[in-house]
Amino acid sequence: MKKQLKRTVLEQANVWIESNQKVVLARVIHTWGSSPCPTGSSMIINEKGDFFGSVSGGCVESNVIAECLELIKNNNLFKQIKFKVSEENAWDVGLACGGEIKIFIEQINS
Amino acid sequence: MKIQILKEIIKKKSSKENFAVLTNLINGNSEIFEFGKFLSKDFESSKKEIENYHYLKKNGVIDGTQIFIQNYIKPIEVIIVGAVHISQYLFDLFKNLDFEVKIIDPRKYFITTERFPNIEIINGWPDEILNKLQTNSNNALITLTHDPKIDDPALRHALKNKFFYIGALGSKKTHIKRCERLKEAGFNEEEIESIHGPIGIKLGGKSAPEIALSIVAQLVSETHKL
Repeated sequence: MKKQLKRTVLEQANVWIESNQKVVLARVIHTWGSSPCPTGSSMIINEKGDFFGSVSGGCVESNVIAECLELIKNNNLFKQIKFKVSEENAWDVGLACGGEIKIFIEQINS
Repeated sequence: MKIQILKEIIKKKSSKENFAVLTNLINGNSEIFEFGKFLSKDFESSKKEIENYHYLKKNGVIDGTQIFIQNYIKPIEVIIVGAVHISQYLFDLFKNLDFEVKIIDPRKYFITTERFPNIEIINGWPDEILNKLQTNSNNALITLTHDPKIDDPALRHALKNKFFYIGALGSKKTHIKRCERLKEAGFNEEEIESIHGPIGIKLGGKSAPEIALSIVAQLVSETHKL
């Protein structure tokens, strides 16, 4: 019996939308190796860069936020992004635990 | 994702039915899936695989497709018998985890909204109340009164209705006596051994919040074994 943690992320997305803010939903759709957040973990970002929820326990959030803001700026609807540890970014953005994750980001639109 | 889908997900979560959200990663379209529901052309060709993933409560990109499925599973409903001090801490811990909580106690002076604000409290005898509720393997029972006339009927109900977790507070000695009474009531050894008694994992603490923590830790660990 898999249990899911209470999802308050979507409720917060709704609050932001109702105050006329642009919101991007980011969800972990695939993981390899040891990544800290399971598939289905989600985070939302609004146009001001405020975020709520988590997709990696802090490892790649800043990059995901940047990607989401870019999505809003270019008015794109969705994008897939992948993160993994490599020599050059191990000390910058990346999963210190040696995992890889694929994240789907999408605008909440009418 | 369309706003209307987001709002539908939020609404459906409170209905406590199992469902899933499907997202087509090629065109970004999302829709809600339930068993027996008609699927749009974005998803219908993978109906069998979608049903299988939902049945297994598996989240992820479905093999060989560009469809992402995220399952929303009905939370476990925990029934606490005994509106005691530990129950107050239990509720505090449970509220950040995905459990529904109800507290039953026949003693009016224990079960007050002042002691238990924002929680469903039911004043009555556990067996009478439990018979009225729909209970099954999605339920957990925690008995805390260590008074046989209050705890035992709840334990018998939970065993008969195959609750997935049953835990009873009380010392080893109290638990041995409890097991003897259940044996006399006709329950077999396997059933009786399924009761976690004394309740909780061993943390060593004896204070109410520490006992509450050890109970919640045990229950969470059991949910991940299934």
